Amino acid sequence: MSKGPQKRTLEGRRNSWGWVFVAPVILFFSTFSLYPILMAIWTSFLNKKLLSLKPPKFVGLKNYEIVLGSADFWNSVRASATFCLGVFIPVFTLSLLFATLISTRPRGKRIYQLALYSPAVLSSVVTASVWLILFDPRGLANQLLNTIMNTPGIDHKWLADRSMVQISTMLVYIWKVLGYYTILFVTGIGKIPQSVLEAATIDGANARQRLFHIVIPLLKPTMALVSVMIFISSLKTFSTQYLFTQRGAPVGPVNVLTLNIYNTALHDQNLGKASVMSLLLFATLLLLSWLQIRAAGSGSEIES
Amino acid sequence: MKATALFRPFERGVLAQRTGKTLGTAFLIAVCGIAVVPLVFMLGASLMPGSEVVSIPYRWIPEEPRWSNFHRALSGSDGKWAYLRNIMNSLIVSTTVASSSVFLASFGGYGLAKFKFKGRNTVFMGIMATMMIPFEAVMIPLYLTAVKLGLQDSYAGLILPFLTSAFGVFLMRQYLLGFPDELLDAARIDGCSELRIWRSIVFKNAGPAVATLAILAFRGQWDNLLWPLLISQREELKTIPAYIVRYTADLGADEGQMMAVAVIASLPVFVLFFTMSKYFLGGAGVYSGSKS
Repeated sequence: MSKGPQKRTLEGRRNSWGWVFVAPVILFFSTFSLYPILMAIWTSFLNKKLLSLKPPKFVGLKNYEIVLGSADFWNSVRASATFCLGVFIPVFTLSLLFATLISTRPRGKRIYQLALYSPAVLSSVVTASVWLILFDPRGLANQLLNTIMNTPGIDHKWLADRSMVQISTMLVYIWKVLGYYTILFVTGIGKIPQSVLEAATIDGANARQRLFHIVIPLLKPTMALVSVMIFISSLKTFSTQYLFTQRGAPVGPVNVLTLNIYNTALHDQNLGKASVMSLLLFATLLLLSWLQIRAAGSGSEIES
Repeated sequence: MKATALFRPFERGVLAQRTGKTLGTAFLIAVCGIAVVPLVFMLGASLMPGSEVVSIPYRWIPEEPRWSNFHRALSGSDGKWAYLRNIMNSLIVSTTVASSSVFLASFGGYGLAKFKFKGRNTVFMGIMATMMIPFEAVMIPLYLTAVKLGLQDSYAGLILPFLTSAFGVFLMRQYLLGFPDELLDAARIDGCSELRIWRSIVFKNAGPAVATLAILAFRGQWDNLLWPLLISQREELKTIPAYIVRYTADLGADEGQMMAVAVIASLPVFVLFFTMSKYFLGGAGVYSGSKS
C-alpha cells in the first residue's frame, strides 16, 4: 500500500500523523515496561543487594540455581498453586451458576448484579481488614461455624492454624471476585441468540437439556476466558496475605510468590533472587496470557 | 378420564418448573444477601466500640452509635491527622492517573485505530505484549530507577509508572475502530488540523469508553498497595492502602475504629459505583465484549 510514490500523496502524509499520536505511548511503554523488564533480566544474573554501595558482581546462573534449589521457593510455588486451585474451582462453578440464575430472571437482573458485584468495589486492603475482624477468635466467623456445627465456644483459629489460614485467604478472595466473574458470564450468556433457545423450547427441550446442550457449548469461549483470568489474577494475589501476616498470621502457609518476592527484595534485600522469582512468575503469566489470547480468539470466531 | 391423563403431565411440568424457578430465585436472593453481609457488618461495626465488635453473641446494630470512631480514624491515635493527608494523596494520585490514562490512551488508541502508518501492527503487538508483564516483575528495577532519580517520597514517584496502561490503549483502539471515518474526513475538508480533530471530535464522542477507562484507572490506584509501599517511606506521602496496613498491623488498634477507617476508604468508590454503575459493570464486560 504505502510504496514509494504513494508516500507523497495526501493520504500518505496524513497517515504519518499516526506516529505523532502513538509516539507518547511508545515512549511511555519503553520507559516503564520494556526498560525495567530488561533490567530485571540483567539483575537476575547479578549478586545485587538493595542499598549496598559495593558494585554488583556478575554471577551467571547462580541466582537461578539458588532459587530453584531452595525449599522456600518451592513452598511459595506450593502456596500459590494451592491458592490458585482452591480459588478456581469455587469461583468458576459458583459464578457460572449465579450467572445462569440471573440470566433466567430478567426481573431484578440489575439488582442481583449490583448486589453480587458490590464486594468487588471495595479495595483489596479494606476487604482484608474487614475479614480480619470477622476471623477474630471472638469474631463472627467462629460464632457462625459454632452455630452450624453445634460446637459452642470453640476457636477454629482462622488466622493461626496452618490450613485454616490458607482457607481464610481463599474465602476472602472468593467473596471479593465472585460478582466480577458472574457479570462476565452474564455478558457471555446474553450473547447467546434467544432464537436458538426459543427454537429448542418449541422442540420440547426442558431447562436442563437447554443448559447442557445449548448454553454450555455456546458458552465455551467465555468459560475459557474466565478460567484463564481467574488463574492469572489469583497468581497475583498479595494484599490479603500481606495484611494477614502483618497482623501475626504464620507466613509459611500463605507465602505466595508475590509476597515472597516483596520480602526477598525489601527485607532480605536480595535483588538477584527476587528478580529470578519475578521472572519465573512472569514466564508463568506469559504462558497463561497466551492461552487467554487463544481463548479470546476462539470467542470471536463464534461471534462472527 | 382420558383428557385428564393427557393433561396431567403437562400440568405437573408447569408446577415443577414454577417451584424450581421460585427456589432458584430464593437461592439467588440468599446469595446476594451473603455477598452484602460483610459490607453491612463493616458499616455497623464502624459505629461500635471495639469490645462490642467482637462480642459474643454479636449484635448487628450498635447500641449507641459511636460517631467519635470516625473522628479518631481521621485524626489517628497520635492526633497527627495522617489519614486525612493520606486520603488526599490517594485522591490526587487516582484522579491524576485516571485523567492521564484516558488522555494518553485515547491519543495512542486513535493513532492505532485510524491511521495506516508503516509499522502500525508492530507497534500494536508491542503494546499488547506489555499487557502481559505483571507489575511484580518490573517493580524492583522501577524502584531502583526511581531511587536513582530521587523520586522517592514524591507524587511524581507515585504517579509516573501508571500514567497510562496497555489495556487502556487496547480498549480505546477497539472503541475507536468503529468511529465513522466520514466524520473525520468532513472535518479535514473543513480545514481542521489533526490535533483539533482528535480533541474536539474524537475525544468528545468517546464518552462511554472514556468513562469506563477512567473508572478502571481510578480504582486501580485507589486499590494499589505494592508500589506505594515501596516508594513512599514518609508517612505524609503514603496512600490509603498503605495507611490501612499500618493501622491494622498495630495489634492495639480498636476494631470499631478500624472499620471506620475502612468505611472512609470505601466512600469515594461507592459513590462512584452508585452514580456510574453502568460503567462499572461495563468495565467488567469489556474483557469479553471487545475482542471482536
